[in-house]
Order: sequence, then structure tokens, then C-alpha cells
Amino acid sequence: MKSLLTNKWLKSFGITATLMVIICFMTGPSGSNTDPVAGFSGSLFNSAPFLGLFITRRWVVFLLFALIAFVVQQGWQAYGRQVKVRYAKVMATPRELKSKRPVRLGTYGALLLLALLLPHLVTDPFWQVAMVQQIAVYVLLALGLNVVVGFAGLLDLGFVAFYAIGAYATAWVVGSLPLPPLFGHALNNFWAIPIAILIAMAAGIILGTPTLRLRGDYLAIVTLGFGEIITLFANNLNGITGGPQGSRIIPHFHLSLGPLKYVWGNGPIPYYYLILGFLILFLVGFSFLEHSRVGRTWTAIREDEVAAESLGINPLKYKVMAFAIGAASAGFSGVMTASQQNFVFPTTFSLFFSINILVLVIFGGLGSIRGVVFGAIVVQTITMYLLHSPPSGYQPADLYMYIGAMLVGMMIFRPAGLLPATRRKREIVQLREEAQ
Amino acid sequence: MGGFIHYFSSHFQTLGQEFWPLLVGGLANGFLYGMVAVGYTLVYGVLRLINFAHSEVFMAGGFASFFVMQHLVGTSSPNGISSVLYILIGILVGGLTGSLIAMAIERVAYRPLRKRNSPKLAYLISAIGASYFLFNFAGKEFGRYSVSMAQPYTNHPLFTIFGAGVQMYDIIIFIAGALMLFGLDRLVTLTKLGRSIRAVAQDAETASLMGVNIDRTIALTFMIGGALGGAAGFLYGMNVGVVYTMGFTPALKAFTAAVLGGIGNLRGAVLGGLILGTMESFSVAFLAPSYIDVTAFGILVLVLLVRPTGIMGERLGRSA
Amino acid sequence: MLAGATLKSAYYSQLGRTMKIRLNKTMVAVATSALLLVSVPVAGITAAANATAKPTYTIGYQGPLSGGNAQLGLNMEYGVQLAIQQANASGKYKFKLRFQTLDDQGDPSVAPGVAQGAVANTNLVAIVGPSFSGATAASMPYYGPANIAMVSASATRTSLTDSTANPNNNTFFRVVADDSVQGPADAKYLVTTKKIKKLYVVDDGSSYGQGVASQVSTSAIALGATVTTASVPGTTQCQAGTGSTSEYSAAATTVVGSHATGLFYGGYYCDLGLFLGALKTAGYHGLIMSDDGALSNSLISGTTPRSAANNVLISCACATSTNAAFNVAYDNLAGFPATNATYAAEAYDAANVIIKAMSQLTTISRGGIVAKLKSSGFSFKGITKTIKFQHNGNISGSAIYVSKVVNGVIKQLGLE
Repeated sequence: MKSLLTNKWLKSFGITATLMVIICFMTGPSGSNTDPVAGFSGSLFNSAPFLGLFITRRWVVFLLFALIAFVVQQGWQAYGRQVKVRYAKVMATPRELKSKRPVRLGTYGALLLLALLLPHLVTDPFWQVAMVQQIAVYVLLALGLNVVVGFAGLLDLGFVAFYAIGAYATAWVVGSLPLPPLFGHALNNFWAIPIAILIAMAAGIILGTPTLRLRGDYLAIVTLGFGEIITLFANNLNGITGGPQGSRIIPHFHLSLGPLKYVWGNGPIPYYYLILGFLILFLVGFSFLEHSRVGRTWTAIREDEVAAESLGINPLKYKVMAFAIGAASAGFSGVMTASQQNFVFPTTFSLFFSINILVLVIFGGLGSIRGVVFGAIVVQTITMYLLHSPPSGYQPADLYMYIGAMLVGMMIFRPAGLLPATRRKREIVQLREEAQ
Repeated sequence: MGGFIHYFSSHFQTLGQEFWPLLVGGLANGFLYGMVAVGYTLVYGVLRLINFAHSEVFMAGGFASFFVMQHLVGTSSPNGISSVLYILIGILVGGLTGSLIAMAIERVAYRPLRKRNSPKLAYLISAIGASYFLFNFAGKEFGRYSVSMAQPYTNHPLFTIFGAGVQMYDIIIFIAGALMLFGLDRLVTLTKLGRSIRAVAQDAETASLMGVNIDRTIALTFMIGGALGGAAGFLYGMNVGVVYTMGFTPALKAFTAAVLGGIGNLRGAVLGGLILGTMESFSVAFLAPSYIDVTAFGILVLVLLVRPTGIMGERLGRSA
Repeated sequence: MLAGATLKSAYYSQLGRTMKIRLNKTMVAVATSALLLVSVPVAGITAAANATAKPTYTIGYQGPLSGGNAQLGLNMEYGVQLAIQQANASGKYKFKLRFQTLDDQGDPSVAPGVAQGAVANTNLVAIVGPSFSGATAASMPYYGPANIAMVSASATRTSLTDSTANPNNNTFFRVVADDSVQGPADAKYLVTTKKIKKLYVVDDGSSYGQGVASQVSTSAIALGATVTTASVPGTTQCQAGTGSTSEYSAAATTVVGSHATGLFYGGYYCDLGLFLGALKTAGYHGLIMSDDGALSNSLISGTTPRSAANNVLISCACATSTNAAFNVAYDNLAGFPATNATYAAEAYDAANVIIKAMSQLTTISRGGIVAKLKSSGFSFKGITKTIKFQHNGNISGSAIYVSKVVNGVIKQLGLE
């Protein structure tokens, strides 16, 4: 019995099989509180096709999957090293080339061109809207959160608060709140951008200065609380925010330079280009920031705060700076969302929103700008795809179950994200080696 | 200005009339917060991190006891000795499920990271992921509607203190909560297991050199915290029903309570829970129901700023 | 493909270096761009041609089909689907209808995206819905300019038909009475019929609950009752909320302390269920009334103890369907009885109103349907009532029904 339990193969198969059982339940039918067994029994005993070959009970299908996974895993353990070495050899030339400046610039150029042409390549209206509301805005948000979590290593779970502040500031400036507009009369949305950014930054500094002294995990809970408080205020201060009824209609962005008049209208495309323009600004700005003195200081604080402090760095100052920069970009995203959707509602700024953004950042790679952009695009596209044309067996309500499982899996197997930042990857590897 | 004064004076008036009922209700909630808070505090002691997934331990305890109560009690309305029996069963089922789920969380979401010496951020994210997975999985399997539990007791006012009717429910919470928390306190102070938990909390490396099995101690710490959390899930669900999202807010409050009392400090966690529960209760009458959560976080931020180690001070590893 | 492209450009870049021509770097950059772009498949979606003789038009249903209020959405979705199936099966129309669901989760922040997508589908001529007022207001800026009729079966917020608050509401119609009818009717029922002198009005902080509650309190004050108001936000125990359930015991204590004899709750069933339990514990014995958001069997199953839901009054502009043919057909399609499905009959009527308007047009267009619905001669005898729209989109002359929970079952008492 003892030898059975300690058998390496059996243990390894046991883990694979357990994972498969969990996946089997996750993808199976739902139960209810009057019939709690239905989901589980349906997951095991409903019939399902095995790779399109034959139809059998689900548990058989997943047992076969587990066997396949087990064989693959064992094969990888035996020959993985060789494959890796060979792959590294094949990739050696392209990898070397990747670091060549013209090639890199060329790739960026191509991606930029692609981004510019995208609205003409994607003609489905659902996707055009999704590109603006669900992808472009989220990329912005993820970039901002990346400064806080990725660069400075501060876990901010109240990011939504700054987004809400940006959105409400927009509604305020353009005169769509019960509160009279900032300068007594309604202004163009473009004015909302600097004002919203300033207010969000100020909020970031006011919240950050006292709380960033706290330990990292206290910070998480305080920011979570702050996020909730902002939503509560938005929902309850009827005379200021419009309460649960939300703001009045917010006009679109519009330009009038003499004879030239332009309104950003209902269609998503003009907004796409507007956001893309700012997005590129943010991308360039954040890349410079990352490699600047400030960026290096953040790295130092993240890796060893005490050591950094002993070098004469004031960690609080730099942490607050990261917090404020993150807040500013969230505030900016708020301006975009409020203008594009024409309304601000307190329900938009739910507690889970901040965590959703965090998922995007982690998925792509904490601290890696290209990773975060990539992660945000991939996760949001998948989410939108699942919403638009759900595959059979997938229930929209289960989305966060999958996301949760993915987070745990990533932290175990790929903690640095899909396109990790080199620096961060090195930190994780170092820590792991220390443990061994 | 006059309206302003009137607002406050009228609210003080209500506060006067309802002081005792609000206090009793607040203390009952406070005991629940305390029971969940000790789970946070214990885990924080040994791992130095917030177990964000503790909310789902609470939820799991609620659901498991819900199904058992549905089966045992059904539509009958028991009282007397059968009530006591059912409540004991509920606490046991809730506690057992809670500790199993807590153990699973430790095994899946924490231990692999510990073995890899992952950065702290990874733990927090992994815990958030585990929490997301668990509550949505519960929603999938057990439905997404709030449903009331078959009540194992008949609620009625037992006696009054200063005009405040003390309900059966309040008494159940007081007794169950006090007994369990007292038991935990003794367990950690007196037993060998308690000693090893404190040893790991103080210095894990040295403890392991002294022959404490770290893995086992950490798993058991999770299980003990989970047992109280799960039992609290039952006691809470008994009164308001169960739903897959039920863990979120109570657990957040409980964490606040743990920090309030001084993280790592068991008695502090209980005290923090009681203070938070009462403050919340009064804030409903004094401010407005909609600002109840503002109160909780306002207190948290203030305490952290003024006294970052909590009311009773941090006590990582020292006997509580 | 990507790797291949990079390899090729790499070749050029090396070539460039050996020839020592600086300009080549730019060329390489351009070449890389070009090669990468070629590797992107051109995405384009073209609608499949439909090979039926009759022209086909799409009618949408927009409402919450996922999320916490999905049941309400499903109730209505099946109603609309049934109307469309019956219209297609009858063969008496010169067009075929296709059904499209538009899931806005009942959330005003999701609705604009859904509405923009719907507007872009040129085959879509009209929609039933949106179901929730917040989502409706957020959708109007898209449906209005596109001239798509939105016939809602359940969006009752008064300001939806007010064109200063919602400038794009020119295509909005509703087949139920709005809150400005329901709120005062409820207040009158409480104050005049039930003789409540001291009324406590609570809302759940949602846009819907607060809307109804404020109507009730204004009208009750006008009728001479003493009114206390409070906002108790929805909890995380229920779907949309953020509050914690501990607020209910304290809020119930204040209600008892106010010595009110009547309580009106503006909000949804889930949070009301929690509040009812707390009210019972606190020893409240007065009358309790709520709105159509509470009209669900889940109100009873979610109340602890279930008996605390007894005697609660629920008002609704909707009626339980007594049409036997509809009830049978609905049960067959949906798998649950129409009598349990709030707003199902209204959604069925809303779809049929659209179909009737379409049948009276010679050329069917989005604008044509709106004009027809607004025209003074248009009326339709539905299973709930005869539907005729005022110019602002409100239904003319409508009634509020009141129901009561009797021994764990919701029973319709009749008109208020």
C-alpha cells in the first residue's frame, strides 16, 4: 500500500486524472440548489464524443484524455530536454535577429499598420464595437495597472476607483451631472481629459500617501475598500452623481476649428482611432519610463525595498508616483468610456472590475509592456468571442470560473505571464533556485 | 444649517431608542466576523499572507450545511432538544467542509508556490484565482439564486434587556461562537499542535530544525481556520440563506476585523470582530444603511494609519 | 508564417549590412512590415444568402439572458420566440421572421455595445425590449437615430418617455404602465385602501428600485401620510449589490423603532427576501408592499424563514396570463409554466404588436414600423390588454394589479 502511494508514476497520473476530473465538472452541465447532484452526475455520465471518433460517457472521454496527457507528460519528461535544446538551436538565428533594431522597428511598424487597418479588416459590427469598448479601453487600463503592479510591485485592487473618477469627472466637466459643471458651463470633452487625469492623479496621491507606507498585503485590502467606497458614493450621492440613475446623456467628442467640424458620432470607428492615438502615446511614454531612472528605481524597490532605502532612495515617493501614474491612465480610460457610451452608471464600476484588469496584466506578463498589451488583447478577444458565439457546453456565467482556474494555473506554471518581462522572469527564477 | 442640526439630533434620538437592539444585533454579527477573522489571522501567522480564498471556505460551509439541513429538517420547525442537535450537526458539517476546502486551497493554490519560493504577489493572485474558481463553481453546481436554509430552530425573542428583544438566533450565535473561539484559544495555547503553529509563525526555518513538520503544520493551520470559517458559514446561512457569492463581503469584513485587532493575534481578531459588528450596526441608524461599508473601511484605514499593528498589537508566534 | 517572414527580412538585413547601405535599414523595416501584413488573413464576414421566397426580417429581443436577472429575461425571451414561431407557422404573413437574442445582462454598461451591434444588423427591423430601464436609457442613443422601434414589456422608469431626459426616445414604446402610474397607484392603495398613516419607504439603491420608491413616497406624502425614507443598498448575497447583509438587521430595527404601520420596498426579490427575514426577526408586524421587481417565486424560496414572505403585497403593471392557449404553448416551448413567468405574456404581446404593425405595411422598413406604431388608428388586442400607444410611446390607459403571498404562493388579487 505504502509503495503504491509513493509510486512516482501513479502519483503523477493521479494528479493528471484529478485535473481532468475538475475539467470534466467545469465543462459539464449545471446543477441547482434543489438538485445539487445533477451537475456532477451529468458531467460524468452524459454522453460525449471522443475527438469526433466515437460517442461514449463523459467520464470515459476524460479518462482517455487523462491517459493521453499522462503519456505526453511522461514523454516530455524523458525527451523534453532534447527538444528544448533543438528548439533553441533552430530559434537561435531568429532570436538574434529579433534584437536587431531594424527588424524590431519593422515589426512595430507592421503592428501599427495592422492596428490602423483593423477597422477595415474587421467588418462585423459586434467586433467593431468590441474593439473599442472591450479591447482598446482595456488595453489602456491594463497598461496603467501594469505601472502600479508590474513596475512598482504594489497590488492595487481598487483600480476601478480611478476609472470611475475619470468617468464621473468627464460627466461633470461636460455638464451631465446634477452637480453644476466645473467652470459653470459645459465644456468640450477634450477638456475632460486633462481635468480627469488631474483629479484621478490627485486621488491617487491622496490615497497613496498614507496607505503606501503599509505592508503590501494591507495595501491590497485598503485599495479594495477604496474601490468599493467610491462606487458607494457614486451610487448614493444623488445630488452630485445622479445616484443609481446615472448621469444625463454625455455628448461625444467634437472638434470645431473654424470651418473644420467633426463629431465622434455613434459609430465605433472614429473612437477607435482616437483611442489608438492616445494608446500609442501611452505606450511610448511608459516604455521610456520603464527604462528611465524612475523605472530602475521601481525595480530596485520591488526587489528589495530595504536595500533601496539604504541607497538613499525614498521608496514612498516612488511608490506614490507609480500609484499616481496608474491612476492617471485609469482616469483617462474613464474619459474614453464615458464619452463613447454617453452615460455613466455606478454599476459599471463594480468590485470585480479591478480584478478583471489585474487578470489581463498577469496573463500577458507583469511588468512587460508588450506582454500586457498582448495579454489584454488576447483575454478580451476570447471573452468577447465567448460572449458573441458561445461554443456548445459553455455557459456565459461560468466565465469567471475559468478565469479563476487560469489564474491559479498560471501562478504555478508560468508566474511571469505569457510574454514575460526579462527582469521579472529572472527574479522568479532566482527565488526558485534559492528554494532548491 | 438648521436642517443639518435637525438631521443629527433626530438621528441621535433614534440611536437612543434603539441602542440596545442595535448592540445585540451588532454583537451577533461581530461573533461571526470574529470566527472568520481567526482563520485569516492563523494563516497570516504561519505564511505571512492574506488568504483571499478564505471567503469560499465560509461559502462552502454554508452550502454543505444547507443541503444537510434541507435533508434533515425539511419543512418541519423543530425546537428544544432537537434544535440543539440539528445546530450541532450543522456546525459539524459546516466546519468539516470548511476545513476540507481550506486544506484543498492550501494544497492546490499555495503549496506549489511555496515549493517554488514564489514572490508574495503570486500568492495573492493565486488565492484570488482560487476564490474566483470556487465561488463560480459553486454557482454552476448549486444554482445562482439565494435560497433560504431550512431553519433548525424556531426564532422568537427569548428575553429583553433594556427593552431589546434578544432573539433565539442571537443566543445561538453567542453560545456557539464563544465556545468555539474559547476552544481555539486553548488549542493554540496548550496543545502540542498549537505549539508547533506558534513555532512556525515565529520562525519557520528554526521550527523545522527543531523537528516541526512545516507542511503538516501549515495544512493543519488552514484546516483549523477553515473549520471555524465553515461553521460560521452555517450560522450565517441559517439566518440569511445561502448563495454562491455569500462569502465575499462577510470575509472582507472579517479580514478588516483581523487587522483591526492586530493580525496574528487570536484574541485581537475576536475583539476586532465584535467592535466592527457593533460599529456597523450603529452606523446604520446613525448615518444611513448605504454607508455601512464605508464605516467598515473607514475604521480599517484609520486604525492602520494610527496604529498599524492593530488594537491589541501583532503577535506573530507568541501565545495569544 | 510569422517566423518565416522574420527570417526573410533577416536575410535582407544581413545583406544590407554587407553592402553597407544605410538606407537599407529603412527598407528592411518596410519589408518586414509588408511581409507581416501579408500573413494576416483578411477577415470579412458576409451574410449567407437566404433562399426563401418570402423576404425575411429579424426581430430582436434585448434583455438579461445571463447574470443574476436572467430568469426575467428568459421569461420574456420565450414569449417573443413563441409569437415569432406562431407567426411563421400561421403562414398568413407575406414575410418570414427570424429571431435574434441580444443579451445586455440588464446592465446599462453592457447595453450600448449590444445596441450598436443590433443597429448594424440591417436585417433587424424592430426589437422587443430592452427589459430594464437603465439598459433602455443606455440603448436609446443607438436605436433612436437608427429608427428601430423598441417595444419594451417591462421598462417602467417614467423618464424613459420624457424627451428632455432621454432625447433619443422617439422610437421607444412600452406595453405596460410606467412607474408614474404604478407608484401613485401603490401609494393610493396603501394610504387610502389599507389606511396606512405612517409609511416607511425603502429602496435598494438600484436605478429601478429608487425610481419606484421615490414615486411612492411623493404620492403618499401628497395623500397625507407621514413618510420616512431610507436607501438600503442591494447586497453581494444578491447579484448586483455591493452591500453586506448585516445592514438588514440594523435597518429592520430602525423600521420597528419608527412605529410605521406600512412598509414599501422598491427593489428586487432577492434583497427583499433578506430584508423580510430581518423584519420578522426584529418583530415588525405591519403591512409590507413591494413592486414588480419582487414578483418572483424566488422571493419565497429566498426568504428565511419562508413564512416571513407571507402576506407581502406585490404590485405590477403586468397580469398573470389567463389565456389558456397561450399558457399551454408557452409551457411547451419554455419548459416552465407561463403563470410563473413574470412579463412573459407582455413580451408575447409586444412581439405581436410589432408583427401586426409589419403586416399593415406595404413596404417594411424600420421607420415604417415606428410610424405605424405611433399612428392614431393603430391598436392591437393582446392577451393581456388592448394595446394602443400614446404619442410619447406610453400605453394608453393602463391598470396596476396587486398580488399577495398566501401560504408561500403568489396569488393575484386583482386591480388596485
